[in-house]
Amino acid sequence: MDWITFAEFSLIGLFSGGLLALVALGFVLIYKGTRVINFAMGEFMMLGAYLVYTGHSWLKMPLWLSMVFGLAGISCVAVLVERFVLRPLAGQPVVSVLMVTIGLGAFLHGTVDAIWGGQNLEMPQLLSRKPFIWGDVMLPGAVFWSFWVALAVIAGLSLYFRYSRTGIAMRAAASDPITAYALGIDVRRTQQLTWVFAGCVGAVAGTIVASISSLSPALSGTALGVLAVVILGGLDSVAGAIIAGLLVGWLESIAVGYFGGKARDLVPYVVVLAILMVRPYGLLGTRDIERL
Amino acid sequence: MNTRRHALKSVAAATGLSALGLPFTTWAQSGELVVAAAPPITGVFAFAGVGLNMGVNDYCEWRNEAKGGVMGRKLRYVSEDSGYKMDQAMAVFKKLMAAHKPPVFYGDSTAWAKAASVEVSQLGTTLTCSPSFASDLADPDKVPYYFMAGPTYASMCAILLEYINSQAKGGTKPTVALVYSDTEFGRDPIEATKERAKKMGLNVVQEIVTKPGSVDVSAEVAKLRRARPDYVIFHGYVLAPIPEFIRQMREAGMTSTQFMGTIWSMDKSTAEAMGPVGDGWMGVMPYRYSHDTKDAPAMVTMNQFAQKRRPDIKYVSTFYTHGWLVGSIFAEVMERVLKANKPLTGPNMKAALQTMTDWDSGGISGLPVNLKGHQIATGRIYRFDANAKLFEPASGWIKTA
Amino acid sequence: MRIGDFRASYAHDESLLITRVQRSWMIGFVGLLLIFPWVGGSYFTYLACLTGIHVIAAMGLNIVTGFAGQISLGHAAFMGVGCYTVAWLDKWGVPFYITIPLGGVVSALIGMLVGIPSLRIKGLYLAVATLAAQFILMFVFREWDSVTGGVRGVNIAPAQLWGWVINTDKDIYYLIMLCAGMLLLGARNLLRTHVGRSFIAIRDKDISAEVLGIDLFRGKLMAFALGSFYAGVAGGLMGYFYRAITPEHFTFTLSIFYLAAIIVGGLGTVLGTILGAAFMTLVPEVLRSVVTLLTLWAPNAMELLSPMREMVFGALIIAFLIFEPHGLVEMWRRARRFFHLWPFKT
Repeated sequence: MDWITFAEFSLIGLFSGGLLALVALGFVLIYKGTRVINFAMGEFMMLGAYLVYTGHSWLKMPLWLSMVFGLAGISCVAVLVERFVLRPLAGQPVVSVLMVTIGLGAFLHGTVDAIWGGQNLEMPQLLSRKPFIWGDVMLPGAVFWSFWVALAVIAGLSLYFRYSRTGIAMRAAASDPITAYALGIDVRRTQQLTWVFAGCVGAVAGTIVASISSLSPALSGTALGVLAVVILGGLDSVAGAIIAGLLVGWLESIAVGYFGGKARDLVPYVVVLAILMVRPYGLLGTRDIERL
Repeated sequence: MNTRRHALKSVAAATGLSALGLPFTTWAQSGELVVAAAPPITGVFAFAGVGLNMGVNDYCEWRNEAKGGVMGRKLRYVSEDSGYKMDQAMAVFKKLMAAHKPPVFYGDSTAWAKAASVEVSQLGTTLTCSPSFASDLADPDKVPYYFMAGPTYASMCAILLEYINSQAKGGTKPTVALVYSDTEFGRDPIEATKERAKKMGLNVVQEIVTKPGSVDVSAEVAKLRRARPDYVIFHGYVLAPIPEFIRQMREAGMTSTQFMGTIWSMDKSTAEAMGPVGDGWMGVMPYRYSHDTKDAPAMVTMNQFAQKRRPDIKYVSTFYTHGWLVGSIFAEVMERVLKANKPLTGPNMKAALQTMTDWDSGGISGLPVNLKGHQIATGRIYRFDANAKLFEPASGWIKTA
Repeated sequence: MRIGDFRASYAHDESLLITRVQRSWMIGFVGLLLIFPWVGGSYFTYLACLTGIHVIAAMGLNIVTGFAGQISLGHAAFMGVGCYTVAWLDKWGVPFYITIPLGGVVSALIGMLVGIPSLRIKGLYLAVATLAAQFILMFVFREWDSVTGGVRGVNIAPAQLWGWVINTDKDIYYLIMLCAGMLLLGARNLLRTHVGRSFIAIRDKDISAEVLGIDLFRGKLMAFALGSFYAGVAGGLMGYFYRAITPEHFTFTLSIFYLAAIIVGGLGTVLGTILGAAFMTLVPEVLRSVVTLLTLWAPNAMELLSPMREMVFGALIIAFLIFEPHGLVEMWRRARRFFHLWPFKT
C-alpha cells in the first residue's frame, strides 16, 4: 500500500468534497425551508455560471461585477420560480412537487441552450491555479481554493442563520410555519429568501465548476450525484451536508484512484443505499415523526 | 376559470392542427433525389451537428448550382434535429424514410448507426453514413449499407501509434497512456489500440477511464501523473475534460508530455477553447483543414461556397468539411449507379461504393479515396499552433491497413 | 345525456363498460387499433408501437406510484433488466412468449429487492433509494459485458411464432397492442381486488392501513414487484422492437419521462396512463414537426428553435401541474360529464 499515493488521493478527495458540500447546501437550504427536493439545482448552477459568463464576456464587466450580476440574476430567477412555480403547488403531493422541479429544470436547460447555444465556452479564471506540491503529492490549486470558497460561503450562511434576525426568522418558519405566522413572521417572504439563497449558492458552485472545466449546458448534470451527499448528511442538516460532502468526496477519490474513473458513477449511489438501510435520515438529519 | 379553460382549449386546438402537418412538411417533387439526415443540432454534440448539417446541405445546394444535381436530378436536403438522442434519431429516421424514401441517409451517432443498421439492412433501400467511426460499423458484410467518411477510431489510434513509434529516439520506445470516456464512442478503439501498441513494442503505462462529461478529474490526473507517460492519447471526448487534464499535468511539471487526440477533438474551435494549454495539441485528422487549399480544388470550392452562402462563418470547420465530403460521396455513389442505368437500391449503391477504390476527393482527403472497406483509412497528424491559431501538418499522409 | 342508467345486478354494477354507448365506443376503438397499421403508414405505426411500449411501462409505474404511493425513480432500469433478460435468453433461442414473461419475472424480483428499503423509509427518501438503484443498475448494464454486451450493446433476433417472423413495425404492433391490452385490463382489475385496494390504502395513509391489518411490507413489496413486472415486459417488447439495445436506452431521463407521463396523465388511473404516455410520446414529435414546418419560411429556424423544444416541454409539464393537477384524465372526465349532463350544465 503506497501511503503517498493514498495521501494524495485522500487530499484531493477531501478538498473537492468542499464543492460537493456547497451544492449539497443548496439542496439542504431548500428542503429545510420549504420541504422540497429541488431537482433543478443543477440547472441553477448552470444558469448562474452562464450569467456570470454573460456579464464578463458579453457585457465586458470586470470579474467582481460579473459575479454580482450573476448572483442578482439568479436571485431574480429564484424569486420568479418560487412565486410562479412552487407556490401554486403548495400542499400538493410530494410527487407533483418533485415533478415540477424536474420540469423547471428542463425549462431552464432549454432556455440556456436556446440563448447561449450548446457549445463549450471558456470561463474566466476565478481561482489561482498554482498547485501545491509536497514531494510527490500534488494538490491542484483550483481544488484547494474552491474548498476554502465553499467553506467561506457555508460559514457565512451558518453565521447568518444563527445571528441575524432574518436568519432566525427563516429557521423559525422552516421548523414550524404556523407558529411562525402566529408570531408575525412573514413565512412567504422567508421561503422566497430561502430560494434566493439556494440559487446564489448554486450560482457560486456552478461558476467555480465552470471555471475549472468548461461552460456548457451539460453542467447541470453534475448535481445529481450530490443527492447522495445530501441523503448521507441528512436532508435538513447543514452540518451534515458538510461532513457528508467531505466524506463522499474522499470516498469517490479513493475509489477512482484504485478502481478507475467508472467508480465515480457508482460510489455516491452505493453510499446512498447503504446509508438508507442503516440510518435512513442520514448522519445528522432529524427523524420524521409522522402523525395520524 | 372560463378564460383559462378557453385558453387551454385554443392551445390544444392549435397543437392539434400543427400535428396534422406531421407527414406533410415537405412535398417531394418527382425526379428529385432526397438526401435525408438527422444531425445532432442540439444536445451535447451540437457544436459539431450544426456544422455537419450545414456541410451536407451546402454541398447539395452547390451541386445543384454548379453541376445541375446528379445526372440532371436535383438534390434535396431534408433534415430534422436528433438532439443526439437515440430514440429521437430513430423517430426522425422513420419519419423521413416514410415521407421521402430517400436513397441516402445521414445519422447522428454510433448508437443510432448500430440500432438502425438492422432495419437498414432489412429494407435494403438506403445507404447510410453518420459521424460515427466505430470499428464495428466498417464491416461490408455485417453492416452492408453503412460507410464512414474517414478511418475507424481504431485506425485513427493506429495512425497515432505509428507517429509515436516513428518519434522513438535511440533505443528506448516512448511510453503511452490512454485516456478515454466510458461510452461506446470512447471505448470503441481501446482493445485494438492496446494490442497494436503491444505489437509495436510501445508500453501502455496507464489506462484512464472517465465518466463522460465529468468535471472533477483531479484523482484521474493524479493517477496519470504517476505513470509518467511520454504521450497521452485522448479519445471519446468533445472538449472537456481534456484541457483540465493538460493543465494539471503541466502544472505538475510534466512539460514534455505530448497530448494527442482523435478527429472530433481536432477542430480549430476546440483547440482554441483550450486556451494557452492548446499550444502543441496534436492529433489525427483524415482531412485537410480549410485554410490548406494548395492542390486542393474541392477545398477552394467549398470555401468559396461557404463564404457566399454563410457570410458570418469566418473559418470553415472540420465538421463542415466532413459534411461536404459525405455529401460528395453520396452524390458520387448515386451518380455511378444512375450512369449504369440501374435503380437506386441498397445493393446497387453498395456495389457502386465499393468501386470507389481510387476516387479523387478534390483534396479534402490527401490521398485517393478507397471506400472498398466502407471506410477511408487515411489520415495525417496535425499540430496546433496557438499563435497562428491554426492546425499545421506534422506528418505526411498515413495509410492504415 | 345519460338517462336510465340503473344496474340490476351486481355483475353489471361491477363491470368496466356499463352502458351500451360505452361498449360501442370501445368496440370502435379496438377496431381502429386493429386496422391502424394499414391506414396509418409506417411512421405512425412506429409511433403507435412506441406509445404502446410506453403505456405498458407507465402502467407499471402507475401501480407503484399511483396506486401504492411509492415514488420510484428507477423505472427505466427495471425495463432494462427485462430487456437484457430477454436478450440473454434469446441467445439460447428461447421463443418470445417465454422470454417476455420471464423478463417480467426477473424484473419483478429485482424490483422487490429495490423495494426492500421501503420497510424503513418512505416518501422522498425512498425516491432517492430508487434513484440510487437506477444508477447502480445502469452501471451493471455497462460493465457486465458477458451478459449485457456492455457499452457496445446486444442484438436480439426478431420474435418468431411458428414461422411468422416479427421483424416489421406492422407485425410487432399487434404483439405490443395485445400485450398492452392484456396488461391494462389486468391493472384495471387489480383495482377491484383486495390487493389493489390495499395499495390504495397504503397510499392514502399507511399507518391507518397497518392499523386495519394490512401487511405494509408485503403490500409495498408486491407493488414494486408488479410495477417492475410491467416494466420488464415493456423492456422485453422494446428489445424485440429495436432489436439493437444499448444501455443508453434505459437512462434516468427515461425514468423521469415515465414519471412525467403518469403525473400529466393522471396518477392512479388506467386511462390517465394511456393519455399520459401518448402525450409524452407524441408531444416531442409534434414540437419537432412545428419546428420543421417553420423552416419552410425561415431556413435557420432549426438551429434557433430546436432548443426551445425542451423549454416548451418543461413549460408544459409545469403548466399541467399548476393548472390541471389531476392530469389529462380530469380533462377527459370533464368532457364526458359535459356530454352526460347536456343540456344541463356540469
